[in-house]
Amino acid sequence: MATETEHGEIEGFGQVSRTVGTVFRYLLIAATMFGIVTLAVLLVYVANDAIRPLTAGPGWYLTYFFTLVVPTLLVGAYVRTRDRAAFSFGVFLIGLLVVSLMFSGGVGLLVVDVVPPLVALSFALGLAVPAAVAVVLTRNSHRISFTTRLVATSLAFYLSLFGLPGPIGDAAGLPQVVPSFVQFVQSIPVIPVDWMMVAAVVGGGSAAAVGAYVAGVRDARSGLYAGLAAFAVSVASAVVGPFVGLNPVPAVVVTAVALVPTSTYAWRGAFGEDGTPIGLGFAATVVGGALVGAAAVEAFGFAGPQSWVDWQFLTSSHSGSAVDAGLYPAIGGSILLMSTVAALSFPLGVGAAVYLEEYAPDNALTRFVDVNISNLAGVPSVVYGLLGLGVFVTYLGQSAGTVLVGGATLALLILPIVIISSREAIRSVPSDLRQASYGMGATRWQTVRNVVLPEAFPGILTGTILALGRAIGETAPLIMIGAPNVVFSLPTALNSKVSAMPLQVYAWSSLFASEDFYTKAVPAGVVVLLAVLLAMNSVAIVLRNKFERTG
Amino acid sequence: MSQQNTNESNARADSSPDPTDDEMLIQTDVSGSVSSSGGPSRRETVVSAENINVWYGDDQALQDITMDIPEKSVTAMVGPSGCGKSTFLRCINRMNDLIDSARVEGDLYLRGKNVYDDDVDPVALRRRVGMVFQKPNPFPKSIYENVTYGLKIQDKGGDYDEIVEESLKRAALWDEVKDQLDESGLDLSGGQQQRLCIARAIAPDPEVLLMDEPASALDPVATSQIEDLIEELAQDYTVVIVTHNMQQAARISDQTAVFLTGGELVEFDDTQKIFENPESQRVEDYITGKFG
Ligand SMILES: Nc1ncnc2c1ncn2[C@@H]1O[C@H](COP(=O)(O)OP(=O)(O)O)[C@@H](O)[C@H]1O
Ligand SMILES: [Mg+2]
Repeated sequence: MATETEHGEIEGFGQVSRTVGTVFRYLLIAATMFGIVTLAVLLVYVANDAIRPLTAGPGWYLTYFFTLVVPTLLVGAYVRTRDRAAFSFGVFLIGLLVVSLMFSGGVGLLVVDVVPPLVALSFALGLAVPAAVAVVLTRNSHRISFTTRLVATSLAFYLSLFGLPGPIGDAAGLPQVVPSFVQFVQSIPVIPVDWMMVAAVVGGGSAAAVGAYVAGVRDARSGLYAGLAAFAVSVASAVVGPFVGLNPVPAVVVTAVALVPTSTYAWRGAFGEDGTPIGLGFAATVVGGALVGAAAVEAFGFAGPQSWVDWQFLTSSHSGSAVDAGLYPAIGGSILLMSTVAALSFPLGVGAAVYLEEYAPDNALTRFVDVNISNLAGVPSVVYGLLGLGVFVTYLGQSAGTVLVGGATLALLILPIVIISSREAIRSVPSDLRQASYGMGATRWQTVRNVVLPEAFPGILTGTILALGRAIGETAPLIMIGAPNVVFSLPTALNSKVSAMPLQVYAWSSLFASEDFYTKAVPAGVVVLLAVLLAMNSVAIVLRNKFERTG
Repeated sequence: MSQQNTNESNARADSSPDPTDDEMLIQTDVSGSVSSSGGPSRRETVVSAENINVWYGDDQALQDITMDIPEKSVTAMVGPSGCGKSTFLRCINRMNDLIDSARVEGDLYLRGKNVYDDDVDPVALRRRVGMVFQKPNPFPKSIYENVTYGLKIQDKGGDYDEIVEESLKRAALWDEVKDQLDESGLDLSGGQQQRLCIARAIAPDPEVLLMDEPASALDPVATSQIEDLIEELAQDYTVVIVTHNMQQAARISDQTAVFLTGGELVEFDDTQKIFENPESQRVEDYITGKFG
């Protein structure tokens, strides 16, 4: 369309039509928005029913507006313009605090109502001692042969957990001669107070994690000091707790699981190398604002929203009246189910993925397995429920509806997803690195162990958490394996009956269907379920982002 | 590199045991090689290929390659791309075993032992042959862990700190990284990464160092650093380097093998001879840029 003069000079280039492209673009936007908006409307509707924000008085809103919203906006805008990285650090810190508080709730539930502190302590010690033996042996690996190490490590674990002759002896009818270390700890006549044992287990675990983290970013000595300090803080919280209205055990758990890790991260982000103290300032503004707001609302007596999601709902079990009904046994059930699912599906799934990616020859059988794993990922969950019922209950004779059967069934359900996402993570490890490793004379195992798995690990973890997110929302398989609709106490063993959050919500909306349950318990249950799901997914997303930045 | 390093390196190389008489006997007669001037080698042969043929599926990538690579020198392989230079390099440490479709026929002796004998474990073989790849590929681990990787997987004892220092010095990288050994190898520049890969390859003290176009992904400054380094390394190691850069081959190598399309070794001789007075017209055409 260019117009040229007779001398060959160009006077204009004309126009190219963009109409079709523009129409297409708006269609795409509409398609994208349709799904998001529909879902958002539904969520707002449910959240409105569950939390009932409109029942709060204007005083309540005004108080929070001035203590929380205004400072957050002002400080946030300031920090953001000054230093973007500081702003995202602050936001991340708040997220970390919220998510870790939720996790501490889960851990608290476990130590208060599921595992007696003495049992937890004995098993923690019973695992820590042989693990330490294994570490010492690995440190000296060049002096001790592999078989010796393997035998010594297995022996240490066996003695510590089972004693002599242990289950092998049971099978042969021999009496127990030497008690296991676990039994020994449990038989100590002087039993320490509960919170001391919880502090030892939970505080010890958190102190070890903090110590290892600090040792990684600084040096071993700082790591040791940080670990000791973290432990001291956890123990101290049990003493301080009662003064601020917390029992010692919850105080220890909240401190060890939420506060200590969050402050470690905050310290590093604010005062470590390239630290951004103003990011910490932003986080402090938000948290401080929320606390001041809560105190002010309390002092002035302003009524907050009459939310159905409240402490009572989170801590009580089902009841005939919707107002008194709670989700506690279902929350605990879901946590235990997820732990079982993770313990079963992670090793199986990662193992299968490593085999298929790194070892399997490219033959007809492998391709057959390949195709079928993709197919299995699409099989409806109710079919897995039937499988679980058939295999575990009918065939293996487990009793129906237990933690073990439910966990195993859900593990089967997400196994294909775990395998597929782990394979993807393994495949994304550059083949250059494998070449380098093989070129150095590494065996296949050494290459997998030293190069492939460490590189793929964040991706594998992300995929597994997202798959767990699918399992936590499943109802049909649990119904199929005969999980009870209503459970009034937390399961305390692998073979106790279990309920789960989605199952409880389903029961409220079917068995107990009434106006009351529809408008109170059901939306509240859905909101809690979604909150847990979001917390899990946020962990996965953070892991993935971190992975992408460094990878 | 300082003079002191070179002395250290020589000391280390001298202390390695001399090859036994057996091994010398197996040195093949140079008349089998393509070169007609009696072969380029006046030194002892380390790698000796006899009638190596390689196929990928049904496509032949190398045809009847016979050549003797002398020790402690730089042997360059040049030729147009796709002529099988990398394939030949991978025959020496049996990296071709990792490619499903690849099939190798013929014999290849490393210090007198045929690496294609049934009793040869390719993993054990690769522990005695270092390899550096075209694209720098340090592990996403610390510099220290990168250098000690070979020692660790071989369960080798010894003073790791000392070996790391010595290897990095030989790779002319020590002065640049000595204060950041705990930092990731990926934080280095491309040229530094490639020198790290060289340090990683020489840390376990291999017999032969294979390099597949080690400088082709680097800028000119880094390239000339690597070239200097290769000449330096040849005092202690047998270096076999693939390059498609004629000037590079002329600058750094002691002998040059010219491969041409179809996977044949057309001429193998002292570098000077190849570049000044090649026997074959095709080689002359290739070197003067008439084709290829
Ligand atoms: N992994 C492989 N699979 C199939 N064919 C290959 C493979 N690697 C190389 N080839 C083929 O072998 C021939 C020689 O390749 P290569 O040794 O990489 O050449 P050069 O390094 O000289 O460029 C080429 O034709 C190439 O297509
Ligand atoms: Mg090549």
